[in-house]
Amino acid sequence: MTEMTDMRTTYGETLIKIGEENPNVVVVGADTTDSLKTRPFGKKFPNRFFNVGIAEANLVSVAAGLANEGKVAFASTYAIFLPGRCVDQIRNAIAYPSRNGKLGLNVKMVVSHGGLTVGADGGSHQQIEDIAIMRAIPNMRVLIPADTVAVSKLTWIISQVYGPFYMRMARSKTPLVHSEAQEFEIGKGIVLRDGSDCTIAACGITVQMALDAADSLKKEGISSRVLDLFSIKPIDAALIEKAARETGGIVTCEEHNIMAGFGSAVAEIVSETHPVPMRRIGAQDKFGESARDNEVPLLLAKHGITSINIANSVKEIRSKTR
Amino acid sequence: MFDFGYSISYFGKDMGLNYYHILKRVREARKLVIKGTTTAGSGHPGGSFSMAEIMGCILFKFLRYDPKNPLWEDRDRMVLSKGHASPGLFSNLAVAGYFDKSEIETLRKFESRLQGHPDYKCPGVEFCGGSLGIGLSFSIGMALAARIDSKTHRIYTVIGDGESDEGQVWEAAMAASKYKLDNLTVFLDRNFIQQDDYTERVMPLDEELASDDISEMWKNAARWKIGDKWRSFGWNVIEIDGHRIEQIVKATNSALQTKGTPSIIVSRTVKGKMVEHMEDNPKWHGVAPSPKIAPIIDLELDCQFLIAPSIIAGDMANLENEVKRAAHGRADFVHLDVMDGLFVANKTFDHNKIKELRPITPIPFDAHLMINEPVKHIKDYVEAGSDIITVHAEVCDESSFGEIHDTLRANEVSIGLALNPETELPPWAERFIADLDQLIVMSVVPGKSGQKYIESSHEKVQRIAKILAEKKFTGLIEADGGVDLSNVESCFLDGARVFVGGSAIIGQKDVRATIVEFRKKILYARRKLLIQKAYSLGGSELVSKWIDLHEVGKKKSELVQIAKEAGYV
Repeated sequence: MTEMTDMRTTYGETLIKIGEENPNVVVVGADTTDSLKTRPFGKKFPNRFFNVGIAEANLVSVAAGLANEGKVAFASTYAIFLPGRCVDQIRNAIAYPSRNGKLGLNVKMVVSHGGLTVGADGGSHQQIEDIAIMRAIPNMRVLIPADTVAVSKLTWIISQVYGPFYMRMARSKTPLVHSEAQEFEIGKGIVLRDGSDCTIAACGITVQMALDAADSLKKEGISSRVLDLFSIKPIDAALIEKAARETGGIVTCEEHNIMAGFGSAVAEIVSETHPVPMRRIGAQDKFGESARDNEVPLLLAKHGITSINIANSVKEIRSKTR
Repeated sequence: MFDFGYSISYFGKDMGLNYYHILKRVREARKLVIKGTTTAGSGHPGGSFSMAEIMGCILFKFLRYDPKNPLWEDRDRMVLSKGHASPGLFSNLAVAGYFDKSEIETLRKFESRLQGHPDYKCPGVEFCGGSLGIGLSFSIGMALAARIDSKTHRIYTVIGDGESDEGQVWEAAMAASKYKLDNLTVFLDRNFIQQDDYTERVMPLDEELASDDISEMWKNAARWKIGDKWRSFGWNVIEIDGHRIEQIVKATNSALQTKGTPSIIVSRTVKGKMVEHMEDNPKWHGVAPSPKIAPIIDLELDCQFLIAPSIIAGDMANLENEVKRAAHGRADFVHLDVMDGLFVANKTFDHNKIKELRPITPIPFDAHLMINEPVKHIKDYVEAGSDIITVHAEVCDESSFGEIHDTLRANEVSIGLALNPETELPPWAERFIADLDQLIVMSVVPGKSGQKYIESSHEKVQRIAKILAEKKFTGLIEADGGVDLSNVESCFLDGARVFVGGSAIIGQKDVRATIVEFRKKILYARRKLLIQKAYSLGGSELVSKWIDLHEVGKKKSELVQIAKEAGYV
């Protein structure tokens, strides 16, 4: 059984380490600082921590003001309350302001509770549109780490790379898919499994599903390449093109609406570089619903977000390409 | 070098208001707004004009900045949250020297630095505003950052009243209060108009507007509720007339001294202020003037006038009361005739009296020194709290006036030069003209109140006005001596813009009503002048077109009457 670790805990711990090294790092929260595990940062650096209450528009804009003055501003709450609620402030106060070649302001929006795995809180709280919203905004970069190794390393990286970032974490604990030694680079995907018959591209919690699907396909003699495309924007176009060329088909899987989401981002590259058959797995333009923790797999299954569906899609594609 | 800093101590006293310094720049910025929006064919002149004095006072009195180094770390930040008023911001930045004034003609054009809304493309812009409700939150971030870094720079933020419909403004109001951001000063440009209609009809901030007359909200202080809203959020609230420079300066100074809470200066303003047809008309929220009308507006902006009651015409034994009467009468200046018994036969009072009177009102003290050797006494009058000091050409020469000039400038006191009826502009004064703030042309022999206006003064003022215009004078001519309701129109048409009224104002029982009468007379003359201008530019057709713009209140029918009388329609 793979080890399960908590992204938010890792995020909170990493922030403290970053805060120790970089006095310019500030953290802003909106009454979810306990949940996002940013509160310990506030205990350690009370002058650099601000809780603006349940006021997300203010959260985002205060962070922008801090960033404008040279701070590295981390703004954190649940996914549903940032892109969906504050797209105007994110666009106009963070992404748009640019000067002296610096595009956007130095705000890092790191959220948890992305996608359907929010579970019990229900469809109203399951953000399945954030990739679409955020990647459509110029100057914005979008990351979805698959595990705590990625969370830790990417939090470090975005604290050092100038500009606006959106990073989405999951609510529940996630399996470790990367080794501690794994290196991360913005705009570069990771080949977790090499293969020649088909490619499975995933991000966030679907990376483990992709690996599971690859395992089962292997038993049937199908060699699949598994990509962790944690950097959705900028996306690793070269890696995607290469996969299309070498494997002849791509299945994407995302915890997001398939409209304008992760699969769409991959499809944009494939269709322009080396068109091959594709299947996009994700919410099929439908909202989610409540599901207790042990029922979350059922919820995902209802939307087709399973390793079985990935494997089936791979086979379906292969039947077409032959 | 950076521009003008705080009112720091000099001679152990606060500086003067820098009244004319601000007024001239506000006027120039307004003209640039007209130029920019007219060329662009769109933009928001109304909201640019309602905040014109606010922006002028921030930029030319308080803000520390360096146009050569726009991102100087220790600069104060000015955030325009109501970003649609960007022509007002850009114009002020141009006047402040961030870029050449001619660039205003690129407003809203392709590849211009002057975008439709404030943008970092334009040097000096601190916030990319436009989507409303964000700027205050952004300012909070700036203020928190300054605190983290133990920086003493300040954040000045201008928000709109229509903008205050945005819920985010109130999120920010709570947060600034929680964090006790006393390095943040907010101006609410309370012009009572938003895009659709009057604010009190769209979304009342005070209370619902019952009639069509927005002035009912202006007149009745009991109905102003917006200040209470901010007070209940824990803010230091100061309520002022947002077009009066001295009130803005006083309120800002008070805000700067307030510790432990953020301050908001609720500034009641008039949308489109200074252009009659734009004033209080919701239509001018976001419409540019037509190129044919623009020159008339330009002249109108040059025709701003001020009333300066002379208190010595009242009870010399109770000058305190005379100052109060002038203030209550809503005078623009309090004119103080200082006579030493040497330069003129009479003696009135000296700087000690001015010092005594100073705390009564923030209205600018317009000290007219009819004294010998003014250069010897100038510092006393600065220290006493004068905002404008005028000295006589008869007792100055190039060197002494130069010294006076420098002392006054250093203390942010405006500079006046006075000519007796027999005196012409001396040749030595020429080099000061462009920088002079006020020129008093005496129309009586100075020395006592209540004399009759010397008729030849009309011709003299007209002649001097021409010379001054040629020498690029940017100040105002003050008519002083025997000015009353019977001749104030002609004095205006001669070229005078400040009117001293002794017995004609202070000598009257009801000072406020008399000042209203003065303003009406001058306004009548100004309207006549503008109709004349319209006629010279485009005949009866343009006259009618211009008059038709005056939709609010009775302005239109009054203008039609004037035009008919003068035979222009």
